[in-house]
Amino acid sequence: MKRLCCFLFAWILLTGVVWADSIKIPIAAPFTGPLASFGEGMKNGALLKGEEINAAGGINGKKVEIVLEDELCDPKEAATVATKLANDPKVSVVVGHLCSSSTLAALPVYRGAKLPAISPASTNVSIGRMSPYYFRNVYRDDFQGLFLAKYVKTVKGYKKVAIFYEVNDYSMGLMLAFMKEAKKLGINVMGTEAYTADTTDFKPQLTKFKMMKPDAIFIPGYAPQGTLIISQARSLGMKNVAFFGADGLDDDLMVKNPDTEGLFVTTPFLPDKAGPQAAGFVKAYRKKFGKDPNWFAANTYDAVGIGAQAIKAVGQNREKIRDYLASIDSKDKAYDGVAGKTYFDKNGDCLKEAFVKKIKNGKWVSAEKQLQ
Amino acid sequence: MESLLDQSSLFLQQLVNGITLGGVYALIAVGYTMVYGVIQLINFAHGEIYMLGAFLAYTMVTVLGIPFFAAFILTILICACFGIILDFVAYRPLRNAPRLAALITAIGMSIFLQNLALMIWGSQIKSYPRDMFPAIFLKPALSIGEVSMTWMQVFMLSITVLFMVILHLIIHKTKIGTAMRAVSQDKTTSALMGIGVNRVISFTFAIGSAMGGMAGVLVGLYYNAIFPTMGYIAGIKAFAAAVLGGIGSVPGAMLGGGVLGIAEVMGAGYISSEYRDGISYAVMIAVILFKPSGLIGRQIGEKV
Repeated sequence: MKRLCCFLFAWILLTGVVWADSIKIPIAAPFTGPLASFGEGMKNGALLKGEEINAAGGINGKKVEIVLEDELCDPKEAATVATKLANDPKVSVVVGHLCSSSTLAALPVYRGAKLPAISPASTNVSIGRMSPYYFRNVYRDDFQGLFLAKYVKTVKGYKKVAIFYEVNDYSMGLMLAFMKEAKKLGINVMGTEAYTADTTDFKPQLTKFKMMKPDAIFIPGYAPQGTLIISQARSLGMKNVAFFGADGLDDDLMVKNPDTEGLFVTTPFLPDKAGPQAAGFVKAYRKKFGKDPNWFAANTYDAVGIGAQAIKAVGQNREKIRDYLASIDSKDKAYDGVAGKTYFDKNGDCLKEAFVKKIKNGKWVSAEKQLQ
Repeated sequence: MESLLDQSSLFLQQLVNGITLGGVYALIAVGYTMVYGVIQLINFAHGEIYMLGAFLAYTMVTVLGIPFFAAFILTILICACFGIILDFVAYRPLRNAPRLAALITAIGMSIFLQNLALMIWGSQIKSYPRDMFPAIFLKPALSIGEVSMTWMQVFMLSITVLFMVILHLIIHKTKIGTAMRAVSQDKTTSALMGIGVNRVISFTFAIGSAMGGMAGVLVGLYYNAIFPTMGYIAGIKAFAAAVLGGIGSVPGAMLGGGVLGIAEVMGAGYISSEYRDGISYAVMIAVILFKPSGLIGRQIGEKV
């Protein structure tokens, strides 16, 4: 106990000294729990950007310090983390959260504390219009759903689709957007079924789908459940039905499962489809982490960049940073990041391209046919 | 729109799904019910023994390369030891304390074991790689029209039934079983009659935990998803099944598991998958309202 106290005291002293002249940029995402691998992408992207900023002399001579705030993709935890950050005077901009439900839980806290936040990953439609302090450098689900419906219709030619969604803001928003566009395009949505994140048994719902005989099943959920759903469908004898999803399934967990062959998903970033500005980032990322950056890494790298640019321009004042971010509102003022140009509309949302990747021979590859 | 044949095969397939899920609940519920029957303690750490069983077998098969069936039997034995240790560490010191104290240590043990697993294995979902999966389990055992059942399901169901029969025989036909029933009626008098009460209780924990560990191995393999919180949800469901069937009764746990599993699957299949858990718990509440002692629980009068 005594030793622990000494250690704690020393730690506070040391960190106090080291951090006295640094700028904190917190990254709020799940770093443990079932969605930890999504958070890992965010962590790596942020750390890389932070390192690069510091190597180039920091922001106005001050060092950037990336602080990881774990919220397990749990809305309750997200609200707690948000309160902690809102009360920290050293924090002037937040990068996060990852899951839409977490962002929606944290949003009122940031709004109350007038703390601007940039989410690199939350795609639920309602986020932007609920707070003038929320910005994001990722597309919205109404765009993603529309994009997927178009892709399914024009590239894949599926006519009958069933939807298996998770009961959360991300998944349900995506489903509604997809259904709206599917109706316009004449895709027959044969049925929708729901699941909750804590279940591992999907057979009752899949059995219903089996009897409907759809061409494809859309899973607008996350990878930990997605991989189980596909395996259980195959074990029920659904051999010919195709599966597709959105950016929530874009995870290496999916390729570990041999049943997922042929799965395709939308994603905001593909290393080999990105513009020339991404080449240096992809190279540096590979060197540092030994693998290709996923879209979480690319978008977080950009979000930290946007935050740093704002602090550099107007200092560490929350209100001023918000106004600065809101002023990035046209193509010529756009932040030119590794995942495309980012500029915000009046809600703080942005329009960006979507790409399609699929699993071929047990590996994620860019789909031959993209839709631009 | 759909033909009658389609409708009936849908129903049959859902029944197969429901019975398998019910079998899973029953296997876990037995551990709850046995411990409750003997010392009137709801062992909330039981779900964690189930989770540890799943992780142990996974580690033995994938890391140590032990063949699946050997790992299966080893895990059952280790989990039985876990049960004895659990009783020795967490419950025996509180044997004569108020029942609430033991209940709280049970919850404490549950949280401790969950976090221990989190430390050892991490939070990511673990899956058996396909090439280490016992090949026979993937093959369909029977397939009539659209209705299919895999060997995995057949294996799980037969193991469940087999062990329920063995348990019933142990409790009613053996000396230790008689001792268990005696202890469940009156600990002090049993001790006076020369029964080693602590030995009997250890034995109960060993059997219950062995069943829990076995359920963990089977379910981990069946869904191919092993994670530190798996015991919590399964534990709650199994506890509900035990209460539904009549806590303290082994055939009751089996019946309760079956009813809960089928209610859940049929509720998801025919009413609403969004309220799947809600429907299964509503069935449980309805049964308890009309029959507080559960489906085949015995009515116990207040001891005066």
